[in-house]
Amino acid sequence: MSKQIDIKKIHSKIQLMKNTAEELEQLGKNFPALSRNMVRILASLKMLEINISDVVNLERDN
Amino acid sequence: MKESQKYWNPVLETLPIEKIRELQLGKFKKIFKWAYDHSKFHRKLYDAAGVKPKDIRSFEDIRHVPTVEKSMMRDIQGKDPFPYGDALCVPLEEVTIFRQTSGTTGQPVYQPDTWQDWEWWMESWAYILWAQGYRPSDRVFIPFGYNIFVAFWAGHYAAEKIGCEVIPGGVLDTKARILKIQELRATAMMGTPTYILGMAETARMKMDVDPSKLTIEKITCAGECGASIPSTKKRLQDAWGAKVYDHAGATEIGAWSFECQEQPGGMHVNEALFLAEIADMETGEIIEEPGRRGKMIITALDRQAQPCVRFDSKDVIEWAAEPCSCGRTSRLIQGGVVGRADDITKVKGVLLAPSAIEEVVRSVDGLGDEYEVVVDKVGDADQIKLRVEVLPEAQDQYQLIETELQDQLRLKTNLRYDLEICGCETLPRYEVKAKRFKDLRKQKSED
Repeated sequence: MSKQIDIKKIHSKIQLMKNTAEELEQLGKNFPALSRNMVRILASLKMLEINISDVVNLERDN
Repeated sequence: MKESQKYWNPVLETLPIEKIRELQLGKFKKIFKWAYDHSKFHRKLYDAAGVKPKDIRSFEDIRHVPTVEKSMMRDIQGKDPFPYGDALCVPLEEVTIFRQTSGTTGQPVYQPDTWQDWEWWMESWAYILWAQGYRPSDRVFIPFGYNIFVAFWAGHYAAEKIGCEVIPGGVLDTKARILKIQELRATAMMGTPTYILGMAETARMKMDVDPSKLTIEKITCAGECGASIPSTKKRLQDAWGAKVYDHAGATEIGAWSFECQEQPGGMHVNEALFLAEIADMETGEIIEEPGRRGKMIITALDRQAQPCVRFDSKDVIEWAAEPCSCGRTSRLIQGGVVGRADDITKVKGVLLAPSAIEEVVRSVDGLGDEYEVVVDKVGDADQIKLRVEVLPEAQDQYQLIETELQDQLRLKTNLRYDLEICGCETLPRYEVKAKRFKDLRKQKSED
């Protein structure tokens, strides 16, 4: 079943989201409503990395 | 169930075992380096053993990493950075949640988590609940005290994450909880086996409600071995007319294992998130083969604030010989957690696991769910006293029950017991974890 899922494509989208979230977090230095929400979003994105990106990176590392 | 919706994570849960091993090794290297670089406690421990991050290249190398005991965590807490001590790997301002262990085995241990750690807790629980058939259509009742212990907190938020409707049964008493389940037609719940059995007893005996006629379809049990003990599982399932699934986790570790809908007589270790090793209880040798019991040494591969690296959990487990028919590639532990290394003790020269006594007590018709075991020394001889309750409808079968109980105990544990058969509701009731096993020999030697 997992063969039908394009995890590389998902991974690249996750990285795009992560980059954007990190940029927004930086822009929120004096904007708690932005920075604290970005901390939470980044934590959720980390779960996507654990669920998907770590497997893609495994293939990349080999 | 649609095949396409069988797994929470169709990638990780069906990953070939050799890929899981690669993933675990890579993640272990990272978490070990994280702990070494960010915590004085871990660095000191590893330096003393002569192990540095660059030394970890294989699973064999991992075995040289010293284990962490709960007592070590107790020793550092209360010191700086207060109150966690120097196993903390993040600045204090990044800690968002405090929890502590239940104190079953001594002074509670504090557990800090970052928001990312908390997301990780929920994620680990989402794997469990999805594997046990929780779906967005479920209405989940949680009869739990929502307090300082992690218990079912993460189960609550994981159920929300899955999309279930969650009813927090916090400060309600047992009767009010049963009425709320009835009123809202809850379809699932979570609790310790002791409390779930106690709820059923309250419903039947004090409310004239048959819990099996309520709408509960599935129950997730945790906190005690019960849901993997066949006779206890049967009592739970019969009482509620529901499927009962086991889960094992711990405050210092995370939610590391679960029984799936196949109910294969064991639990899956979530090997993409945890590295579980089984160590021989006497030699410490790592056991790879099925069927040999040992204590679990476990690493949470993604936990950040206070890492769990080769933690000596003292949970006694063994690998199952066969993979699960559910298609998950992660290994099963046969019979779930079969006991705690702390509780497995020699009585009259025979190794005794309290779970074996529970299995017998709950397999005897006419006995209630509660029991109490006291091991003591009388003169030079060990003595085991077992107190059980006879159900009102079985009062006239007292002699028959006593004979069957004694015979079964002898057969299953190779020991003879002093039995005390009490009336119903004589023994203590517990809301969270029960303390039914007392070894007075240990207490005397500590005094």
